[in-house]
Amino acid sequence: MRHIQTIFIGLILLVFSEKTFSQDLDALLNAETKPTIDYSTATFKASRIINGHSIEQMKAKQLDFRISHRFGTLNNGAYGLWGLDQSVIHFSLEYGLKDWWMVGIGRGSYNKTYDAFSKFKILRQSTGAKVMPISLSYMTSVEMNTLKFPTRPEGAKNYFSSRMTYVNQLLVARKFNDKFSFQLSPTYIHRNLVATELDPNDIFACGAGARYKLSKRLSLNAEYYYAYNPNNKFTSTRYYNSASIGIDIETGGHVFQIMLTNSQGMREGTFIPQTTSKWFDGGIHLGFNISRVFSFQK
Amino acid sequence: MKQLLFVLILLGVSVGAFSQGKYISKNAYISFYSSTPMEDILGESNEAVTILNGETGEIAFQALMTTFHFKRALMEEHFNENYMESTKFPKAKFTGKIEGFTKEMLKNPAVEVKVTGTLSIHGVDKTIALPIKLGMENGKLIGTTKFKVTPEDYGITIPSLVRDKIAKQMEVTVKAEYQPYKS
Repeated sequence: MRHIQTIFIGLILLVFSEKTFSQDLDALLNAETKPTIDYSTATFKASRIINGHSIEQMKAKQLDFRISHRFGTLNNGAYGLWGLDQSVIHFSLEYGLKDWWMVGIGRGSYNKTYDAFSKFKILRQSTGAKVMPISLSYMTSVEMNTLKFPTRPEGAKNYFSSRMTYVNQLLVARKFNDKFSFQLSPTYIHRNLVATELDPNDIFACGAGARYKLSKRLSLNAEYYYAYNPNNKFTSTRYYNSASIGIDIETGGHVFQIMLTNSQGMREGTFIPQTTSKWFDGGIHLGFNISRVFSFQK
Repeated sequence: MKQLLFVLILLGVSVGAFSQGKYISKNAYISFYSSTPMEDILGESNEAVTILNGETGEIAFQALMTTFHFKRALMEEHFNENYMESTKFPKAKFTGKIEGFTKEMLKNPAVEVKVTGTLSIHGVDKTIALPIKLGMENGKLIGTTKFKVTPEDYGITIPSLVRDKIAKQMEVTVKAEYQPYKS
């Protein structure tokens, strides 16, 4: 009888241990799976939030062909088809040299400007084996205005350097969850030549941008740039801070960005210090960016 | 006293059996392939982990979604963001048992065996039967399989806009080279 009891207990234990077996295999599997660093991806859908740069950039060997338009202001009324009669265009080719380094060149019809930029990843937001709460990038660009020089009085000279504007920007972003991302973009702009003595050559500005994902392929974006310009009230042309709202529509290799903005320029050197229309006067431009990505990865 | 000793020995034996006779591969290959006239998509990972219990014929397999890599960076982003939702469902997993398992299977040249179990992708569990080739190849214990999965079965929806570019069924290929497990 005792023996039977013993065997019985033994069997129960054996059965019990068999039961836990697959759980054991599971635990082992999890223990053997290396902890990974999970980098946040797609903090924003495109390399621009609306007008300004986002933390996103082209990965190595990816080429982004971008075409953007900004139409005239809505307050043109029916006569100008609410701004659609008029448009400025910007197109650019932007390429990822490394996963952390991209470069781009572009041309905009606004002030007939050529531009070139370079963007570097410094920190990447991550969880898992390594925790980093934010992503940080640095963007630097030059813009060359190629409008014909105005006729100057006899003896006055025009310099090539007068055409140049330089932009330096830090991009600090965090993807708070699958839907919401936020970015701050402290910016320093230097313009070699400005319109009047009252216009500052150096402008400090800070941008704030956010996106909220409405669905997997649709997101709502907003962007605001505060530019510090102490003499703005006294200059001949009054400048306003750039404010924009838009949506991103993603379709495979394309991203369409459609926006309403008070800026007509599409590069930092123009939309940050030289936005001349005002939202509350109906100085709103309808516009879009189209991004098409080509891969040269073998 | 004797009883207790006997029970303890039995327990010890069965516990001992856990770590014995197990095989592991920490860098198993897994890929999925979607082919359409519009576009071919290939995602590959060399970081899947699989364990084979040589006593019972149980197999467990696990791959983290973020270890899959693609030719195009955008494909990788879309894979994780739009389809697999990798932050919500970080891994794909299979646990199953070889039908009619004998220990000799692990010593003989590779033959096709049937494994039934649960495949878990995108948080959805499905019972499936897989044909696995298992056995010795050039002195190594190798397990390979090729099978098809339908994304919709696992709650992965493909919008009509890109429907032409993504195959109705994905071909999944797995190759694992097992080594005796040492804890």
